Amino acid sequence: VSRLTGWRVMTPMDRDCERLLVGRLRAGDTGAFDDVYQEYRPRVFGFLLRLSRNRTLAEDLLDETWLRLVRHAPRLTPDTRIGPWLFTVARNLYWSARRDSLVEETSAPELLTLWPASAPWPSPFDLAAAGELERRVEVALSTLSRQYREVLLLVGHEGLTPREAALVCGISSEALRQRLSRARALLAARVRQTPAIAELKKGYAT
Amino acid sequence: MSVDDGPSNDTLAALASLTTCDVSRRHARRLRSRCHALLQRQATANRSAAAMPHGSAFRRMFAPALGAAWCVAYLLEIVRRAAAAFVGTE
Repeated sequence: VSRLTGWRVMTPMDRDCERLLVGRLRAGDTGAFDDVYQEYRPRVFGFLLRLSRNRTLAEDLLDETWLRLVRHAPRLTPDTRIGPWLFTVARNLYWSARRDSLVEETSAPELLTLWPASAPWPSPFDLAAAGELERRVEVALSTLSRQYREVLLLVGHEGLTPREAALVCGISSEALRQRLSRARALLAARVRQTPAIAELKKGYAT
Repeated sequence: MSVDDGPSNDTLAALASLTTCDVSRRHARRLRSRCHALLQRQATANRSAAAMPHGSAFRRMFAPALGAAWCVAYLLEIVRRAAAAFVGTE
């Protein structure tokens, strides 16, 4: 599993460009598919991985999400928002898998599954690159409930507008606003509670 | 903060900077190939259907009618022969 070295830049796809892509996708254009695939594959996978905390499941759901896009491509409406569409499908697949009791999540709050499968432990370089704040946010995020995690990931990480996130989650904008507010407060509290590496080292030393 | 303000506070800003993860290149290539194959199959099927409007009409109406006519003729022939055999034995 490759781990991208750069930070993801929030670049919402231009609306006209998106309409064009949807039109080409409906016509079965593989080039248009590649553009969408390059843009959204890591984002959808990251969302599924952080939501499920299970790499194998996230990979399976990612495959199914893209295959559904392809099967549904001829029936896409011209004004389809590709990002929210993909996140909706991915989210529904995840909750469906959970309902079917196919998910066995690890109870450990560590996000070791986010690291490359070939190397079960992150290298010192990876640790340094990931950064202290990111580590604490990842750990804190993994301790939140799935409902809180999904709204935080959709709005905070994927850059969806709260309205789009509400559609993805199948709830009203007001319900999303409340859930997001609670999730944000909880995440901030958990980040504060998560010990820094320096504190952990001090604890081990004493 | 209103619902449309977006990720404006520190917590959400920290979330936005989380590192992106991805599947292996091999997995990505395999999935892409599957999707391409499916897209091309669908596109071919759509093109074929569009290119043969009479073909679809044949499949929808003429073929079932022909089949039904053949079945009726077969049934009538059976009845006729059965009747002939019954009359012959009388």
